[in-house]
Amino acid sequence: MNDISEQLPDQDAEAAAEPGQARIEITGLGKSYGSLQVFKDINLNFGEREIVTIVGPSGCGKTTLLRCIDGLLPVNEGAVQIDGDEIAQPREGVAMVFQHFGLFPWKTVEQNVAYGLKLAGVSKSEIQKKVPEYITLVGLGGFETSYPYELSGGMQQRCGLARALATEPHVLLMDEPFAAVDAQTREILQFELLRIWALRPMTMVFVTHSIEEAVLMGDRVVVLKGRPSSVFEIIEVNLPGPRDRSTLGHPRFAEIREHVWSTLMDEARAAEFEVN
Amino acid sequence: MNKVISLVNSDRTLVRWSTVIISLLLGAAIWEAVGMSFNQAFMAPLIGNEEHPGTLPRLYVYFFDDEEYLLSLVQSIQLFSTGFVLALLVAIPMGIVMARLITLRIALENYILALYVTPMIALIPFILSILGFDFWPKVLVVFLFAFFPILYNTLEGARSVKPELIEVARSFRSSELAIWRDILIPYTLPYALTGIRQASGRALVGMVAAEFFLSTSGLGEELITASRNFDMAGVLATILVITGLGITFMRIAQAVEKKYSAWRGVDR
Repeated sequence: MNDISEQLPDQDAEAAAEPGQARIEITGLGKSYGSLQVFKDINLNFGEREIVTIVGPSGCGKTTLLRCIDGLLPVNEGAVQIDGDEIAQPREGVAMVFQHFGLFPWKTVEQNVAYGLKLAGVSKSEIQKKVPEYITLVGLGGFETSYPYELSGGMQQRCGLARALATEPHVLLMDEPFAAVDAQTREILQFELLRIWALRPMTMVFVTHSIEEAVLMGDRVVVLKGRPSSVFEIIEVNLPGPRDRSTLGHPRFAEIREHVWSTLMDEARAAEFEVN
Repeated sequence: MNKVISLVNSDRTLVRWSTVIISLLLGAAIWEAVGMSFNQAFMAPLIGNEEHPGTLPRLYVYFFDDEEYLLSLVQSIQLFSTGFVLALLVAIPMGIVMARLITLRIALENYILALYVTPMIALIPFILSILGFDFWPKVLVVFLFAFFPILYNTLEGARSVKPELIEVARSFRSSELAIWRDILIPYTLPYALTGIRQASGRALVGMVAAEFFLSTSGLGEELITASRNFDMAGVLATILVITGLGITFMRIAQAVEKKYSAWRGVDR
């Protein structure tokens, strides 16, 4: 996977000149709502053009963590730094794709994709050039003037992805992006995303509750666990790239998946008995 | 195949329109029969006879042979539009601001609920004694009749804006102004238009009430004059004019509402 990205022309030569420097640094991060502590003491580094997946049981705060990285939510302890800047509010060059798609129902696909560019003050001619490019990239050609309600869930998320990619972010935050689409569509979209990433590599933080998805997509898998949760384990995936359907049959894939599964199941069982 | 469908459709349209026309003719016939069977001057039939021309002949006279009546009509429409447009200009921004600022909403909620349920007509003597008989006190009456349905619906709409969409906007570094432009206004518009449709009916009531109870003017004055003279054909003709205005305003509001809420019906 990394091999592929190195063969592609450099999109960001300046950042690439400092290899090994973390794009995102999270130090001692803690978040609570009143007396309820969601997570504590999170320390993570995400490198240039790395895909890191964050997996954990539902309610472990992985989505909250992602919102803290984006600057949508304030943190209580510690800090998130992106390229050395501490994050207090959403930052340029960072885009997010949402589980709920978050498309504007009164806007067409085209208008939705143009949304981020318009806000960034990109010129009209530039928008007219870029929007079709990204619509084609995500495979929505022919649906430019469709409204979200005319599209299937999978197509809506393609539109959400195009909207985020159109701003040409260095960091892409994915908040359980495929959780709301059916299983077959989800699988198609996973490989589509890997294909797009290979064309335009960037740092990607991918939150999911699906262990398979986490192992398939990630260069590294971060396992969150506990209440309040913290980083339990970081797994180097080291699967050969490019990843495709055959990856799912790779022994290493099965090994990691089972490892993460047993790690999380202990907790899921404990949580279940706690509730009952 | 297509031909069959279009035939069936045109059949349905035909049945539909025939039903409408027959229903209207029946109504007119009943009106005429009731009007003619009593004292014809007092019960004003629809058409009447030479001796006692009914409501329709009177309408013809009003529209084609009575400049004063047309002036009254213009006066009424002026009053209606001024009050209505002012209500719209204040109520829509206020509704959205109240949805965004929770403290303001909590502070004003009770006043709005109280005024929404108060029959506005009860405020007329009060407005009269404070502001007098001019044009503007009448505008205030129309304004008050129209204001609350618009405010109420706009507020409901702006409050139901999905927080997810605001989150998307914030994630894309939107300013508050751009959130209004991109999300709050387009999202709230269909709700505001529902309010506007409801308000158009109420504003018409306000218009007639203001013309009755403050200095008489416009169609309200025409109504009062006609009824004082026991001129029932005149009364009924003016009522028909007001009804026509009401239907026109309602239809316009409905059409605009439909145009801007296409996305809402299928939104999940």
